[in-house]
Amino acid sequence: MDKTINSENKKHQDIRSLKLKQYSIGSVILLVCIVLVVNFLLDRIFGKALTFDFSDYNQNSISKETEDYLDSLPADTKIRVIGLFDRPDNVSGTPYQYILPLLDDYVRKSDGKVSVEFINPLTHPTIISELDPSNAHDLSSHTDSLVVEYNGKIKVISPIDCYSFNVEYFYQTGDYLVTGNNTEYVFTNTMNTLTQGFSCKAYFVTGLKEDGSVYLKQILESMSFDCGEIPVSDNFAVPEDCDLLILNGPNSDIPEKVYVALTEYVKNGGKLLVSINFSMKNVSDGFERLNKLLNQMNVNIDPALISENNPGYQLNGYSQDSAVIITDAFKDFSNISLLHSTNARSVRAISNPESAYKIYPVLVTSPNASTYDIDKTGNAIENSLVENKQFNVAVLTENEETGSAAYIFGTLNFTSDEYISSYGLNDSNVDFLKSCVRDLTSSKQLNVLNIATKNVDDFSIKTAHATSSSATAVLVAFMIVVPVAFVALAVIVYTKRKNL
Amino acid sequence: MTAFFKREFLSYFRSPVGYVAIALFSFLSGFIFYSQFASGSVDIASEVISLRSFFVIIVPIITMGLLSEDKKRGTDILYYTTPVSLFNVVIGKALAAFALYAVMFVNVIIHIIVTLICGGKFGVGSVGAVIVFFFMAFMFISIGLFASAITDNQIISAIVAFIFILISQLLSTIAQYVGTAVISILGIMKIKSAETVGRAFNSAISWLDPFEKTKDFRLGLFSVSALFFLFSIGLLFLYFTFRILEKKRWSQA
Repeated sequence: MDKTINSENKKHQDIRSLKLKQYSIGSVILLVCIVLVVNFLLDRIFGKALTFDFSDYNQNSISKETEDYLDSLPADTKIRVIGLFDRPDNVSGTPYQYILPLLDDYVRKSDGKVSVEFINPLTHPTIISELDPSNAHDLSSHTDSLVVEYNGKIKVISPIDCYSFNVEYFYQTGDYLVTGNNTEYVFTNTMNTLTQGFSCKAYFVTGLKEDGSVYLKQILESMSFDCGEIPVSDNFAVPEDCDLLILNGPNSDIPEKVYVALTEYVKNGGKLLVSINFSMKNVSDGFERLNKLLNQMNVNIDPALISENNPGYQLNGYSQDSAVIITDAFKDFSNISLLHSTNARSVRAISNPESAYKIYPVLVTSPNASTYDIDKTGNAIENSLVENKQFNVAVLTENEETGSAAYIFGTLNFTSDEYISSYGLNDSNVDFLKSCVRDLTSSKQLNVLNIATKNVDDFSIKTAHATSSSATAVLVAFMIVVPVAFVALAVIVYTKRKNL
Repeated sequence: MTAFFKREFLSYFRSPVGYVAIALFSFLSGFIFYSQFASGSVDIASEVISLRSFFVIIVPIITMGLLSEDKKRGTDILYYTTPVSLFNVVIGKALAAFALYAVMFVNVIIHIIVTLICGGKFGVGSVGAVIVFFFMAFMFISIGLFASAITDNQIISAIVAFIFILISQLLSTIAQYVGTAVISILGIMKIKSAETVGRAFNSAISWLDPFEKTKDFRLGLFSVSALFFLFSIGLLFLYFTFRILEKKRWSQA
């Protein structure tokens, strides 16, 4: 009888145990499935909607201007952005850090008009010939770049194009010091150029020992300019399609052949942008032929360095690094009244009786400025000082009959890579320059987008604190004192409690 | 639950474990902070992300004894014989370990203060990194607690937790290897869609990678679904732990 009862109990226990086991395993399996399915659905369906860009300056989101531009495109527009590499798993600390999340946002907000793909030519060699059948862009050597393609037209964007970096710092150290994030600026303007085409053509005269014009070209391209170069040579001629001719920071005078061609160009109503400053590279050059050309336009660039004597206009206490005043006629070009000028030459208005050009001062110094001539060794030439005067740093010269016009800057703070790379593409000087360019070519300006560049995160600590002694203090405090104190506590606790 | 939390949290400071864990964390965070400070640029997000790599060492240390020690001493019988919910026991212990992590994180808070005093920046990306740090800590502590529940040997518990966390840290790499292996095997079998299947394996395994899911937080891109993933996996392991304890309660009955 007892045996039967025990057997009955055991049977009940076994059934109960089995049921509990089944419940346990079943609930675990069910919960695992629920967790995976819910996470999968949340990720795939709501993942993008539940992702928020809280980054400073909205680094990872496109701006209203870009959204408006994308909305304005026809619904069947297909812009492809193709990375010629495998999509990196981790972009933090790489040049793609600000690029790939932003491209994802283009895809998100473009209603299918923009697509982003990553096709590595090593695994898919046909992509090169598919994108660039004539091999005009040599894509095989751009395997870290992105290609924007629209209707068979392409433009190659290297990661470095998406950033401003301090050129001077690069020359000194060989390292890149990033000063701005231009990713949206570059991609939106590239898409705009590919979909709308260029409005104007600008040519840079090269071969005059000038420094680079990388950033100025980027600015002009954002203004729908197609930029080209005309090297100085015996066959020098200004192309007929030239809407704007630029001499950016020449350090040697123009040859006779160029002088003749430029004279002809301005006579026929050509537009000119000349930027020249005072530096040890061009101190010995009087720019006689260039001045001969400019004299026809009632302007002369003096071989004299401007020195600002009014402390209120000096920047950082330097008389050659100063604020310059925007004259009343050009106040609309900027929302501030003072701009930044460094090592400026005086751009003097002259009165050439044979010239029909009218001169308009654009940027001027305070009335307390002076100029002096500098010799080849960098010393001021005796008796060359001209005191207490207001000097022109930039002028506009215009001939209403022929339509010819020129902006002449006596400083490179508006056009040089060195300046723009340090102060960024949103700088007031850059905005002012863009207004000057618009003024020169306003009738032809079409389809221009106003995309702002973004600042990048700067984690530098103040120089005063970044000393070796403070670093040593940090080392001692955080790597020695605190850990040793806790180890000591551990030893004390262990010793006191080991026998408990 | 409060009683279990209090008991467990204080026990960290009644034995050398809590102090050793804090000392180790202080040293590692101090080293990362010093390296950045000496270079003149301090990104707290980088420091916090680097510290996440040490979960694999620190989490097993602080979770190894949570349940295995009770089992070894036989004091776990109290959980089964007293009228308390086992889920409260599990939550209380997990919260105690989590609180210890929060105490350790005071080091980083001091680093943040020093950075701000020195004119540095504590930006949105750093806030994102800190949020992810705590969600990940919760997830890994749950895994550690589970490892502690399956054995009465602290060393085995630590090794199991170590392996689990290491695997989760290497998921992307594992995914690549698995993907390549699948492509190779199916390629040998002359299956046409070998590459598609291989990539699918790669994507499926990568999808489970908590580090991959949360990598954009430091860029200021906050994803609710990524945080939900960490939290739900944490809860899942707490439930596993609860089931193990529950099993023992019924088997003892």
